Amino acid sequence: MPYVGSAAAAEPIKIGMIWAKTGSIVDQSEYLAQGGMLALEQRNNTLLGRPAEIVWLDEPNPQGAQQSAERLVGEQKVVGMVGGALSSFALAISSVAKKAKIPYVAANAATGDLTGKSCNKYTFRLQPPVDVHARILAPYCASIGKKWYLLTASYAFGQDIKRAFTDYITANGGTVVGADEVPVGTPDYSSFILKIRAAKPDVVIGGIAASDLTTFLKQWNELGMKGKIPFAEISVGNTDLWGVGPEAADGLYTITWWYKNPDNTPDEQTMAAAYQKKYNRPAADKAWMGWLGMKSLLDSIEMAKSTEPGAIVQALEAWKYRRGDLDIGYRDFDHQMTSRLLVAGIHPKITDKWDYFDVKAELPKTPDDVAKAFGTKADSACKMDTL
Amino acid sequence: MLDMILSQAVNGLVLGFLYVLIAIGLSIIFGMLGIVNFAHGAFFAVGAYLAYALGKEFGWWAALAAPLLTGAIGVVVEMVLIRHLYGKEPLLGLILTFALALLAEAVLRLIFGGAPVPFSAPKFLAGFVEYGPILMTKYRLFVLVATVLVLVLFWAFLAYTPYGRIIRAGSRDPEMVGLLGINLPIVFTGVFGIGCLLAGLGGMLAAPLWTITPSMAAGAIMPAFVIVTIGGLGSFSGAIVAGLLVGITTAMTIQFQPEWSGAAMYVLMAAILLIRPRGLFGERWERFE
Repeated sequence: MPYVGSAAAAEPIKIGMIWAKTGSIVDQSEYLAQGGMLALEQRNNTLLGRPAEIVWLDEPNPQGAQQSAERLVGEQKVVGMVGGALSSFALAISSVAKKAKIPYVAANAATGDLTGKSCNKYTFRLQPPVDVHARILAPYCASIGKKWYLLTASYAFGQDIKRAFTDYITANGGTVVGADEVPVGTPDYSSFILKIRAAKPDVVIGGIAASDLTTFLKQWNELGMKGKIPFAEISVGNTDLWGVGPEAADGLYTITWWYKNPDNTPDEQTMAAAYQKKYNRPAADKAWMGWLGMKSLLDSIEMAKSTEPGAIVQALEAWKYRRGDLDIGYRDFDHQMTSRLLVAGIHPKITDKWDYFDVKAELPKTPDDVAKAFGTKADSACKMDTL
Repeated sequence: MLDMILSQAVNGLVLGFLYVLIAIGLSIIFGMLGIVNFAHGAFFAVGAYLAYALGKEFGWWAALAAPLLTGAIGVVVEMVLIRHLYGKEPLLGLILTFALALLAEAVLRLIFGGAPVPFSAPKFLAGFVEYGPILMTKYRLFVLVATVLVLVLFWAFLAYTPYGRIIRAGSRDPEMVGLLGINLPIVFTGVFGIGCLLAGLGGMLAAPLWTITPSMAAGAIMPAFVIVTIGGLGSFSGAIVAGLLVGITTAMTIQFQPEWSGAAMYVLMAAILLIRPRGLFGERWERFE
């Protein structure tokens, strides 16, 4: 009898990855992508005993992100996707995931809508939403002063920050003395900085991402504002600061992960060492996010023992990862991952070109406080659909 | 409020001068060679990266060689690629230079990585000058002076040197210049190299202010195109006036309607083109009709 092999046995399992290869977020995307690829390499590029490969497409803009997601699903027949460096990109990919019924992990986007009113059964999000970051950072900012100036990007991420911080300070007896929305890719912030200088706020709350933040901080220092008015922003990455340089780096931030955190799990330490060995630089927080987002998807495929989308979604809902005293995972009612955040300033004197952050706290302290910070099912705007 | 407007106007002027420096090279390359150089922003980025690499290796003064090296790269690119486009369908030039821009970005990413690299102004240019309501950093003042100096020197070169006269004549009637026995290919190579040198100079001067990433070209190329269009294609004085207009318009929009600041220069361009379709100083050029 002739041998009849299974076609599936030879076919690799394909995972889609959508991180920017061009545009303003490309610097973060490089690390996000490298982290994702490392997660598969650590499994010897196999899943369910079959070869597995990552197909990485670009996301030059929201429309491009959507087209890439459609290509991954339609042409490449991927079994799951990870990506969406900016909130607008992630929302676009999420709509494709919902329509095509393919599991999608948004590892970097922070807009509340993704696991709020735009949630769906196939979309999972790793990054804590803006409101959670704001709940942790805002009290620190309020302790400095109650006159705030908001400088936020004119898209979902920035607008969420503007709303969250305005709500907080007005509810706590403070005022917003100025609020500017900044177009993405603004090359010169000096005119904005002149306005801030004239408004004399106690704190400037930023809501600008990636290379835009780097540009702002360089010009903030150049115009002599560093150290004069404190600057604070949520969800900042190592790469944003590395490009600023030691002389200009400044601010108070929330960050998701830090390669020197002594509380990092053995898995994370192994990942960080492998990353350092492969790329000859420390694993940035974005590398961790790309790695954990991909790891959660790959683990879930193994848990599901299947590439069937519904089974992977159920496995993702059940997936847990132990960090200290906390089981982090995606909540079933909105698919938001719950985890802690780090509050970090900048070292007064930077001696290591990779080590800028002076970590002040890891918050919220107890698992109950973590749950509280992320809000309950009753607080959620998500109306979860079905498979 | 008047203080703030004055302060923003001066700040807009400085920004405008930096834009002029980027745009002027684009303008002369189009005026002389008839090539719409989409890769101009890439040469701007190359200038910034060379300044970073030289400055890191040999100190800040070595960064001053970055524009010259960018110009030299431009000369090679012209000799290998661009010269095959002269007299051909304009679309070919657009496609090739667009591909060149993407290639340059990929090469920069390959060499320097995708993450931004740090580069600061030299210590002796740190600090700022305050005059009434006007605040200007020493480095921006340096950029302003350097740009004005370069523009004056370049204008004198075009107006008073034989080479400048050849460039001006060649931009209007290259065939006639060729018939007079002048070696036009060398002139063209020189013009492209000068255009790239100016882009590299813009990149070097912007490096301490902007974020140095492989994709930084995008922040330079669009204002440059807008300025060249507003000023009139190929017009030296038009590019200067348009650059300053764009700088001041952007600064004023930030003051009064910040969320419109990214669109302000495009609105200005549309308004001017409605009144003067050839741009402020644009003339009818027979060879492009």
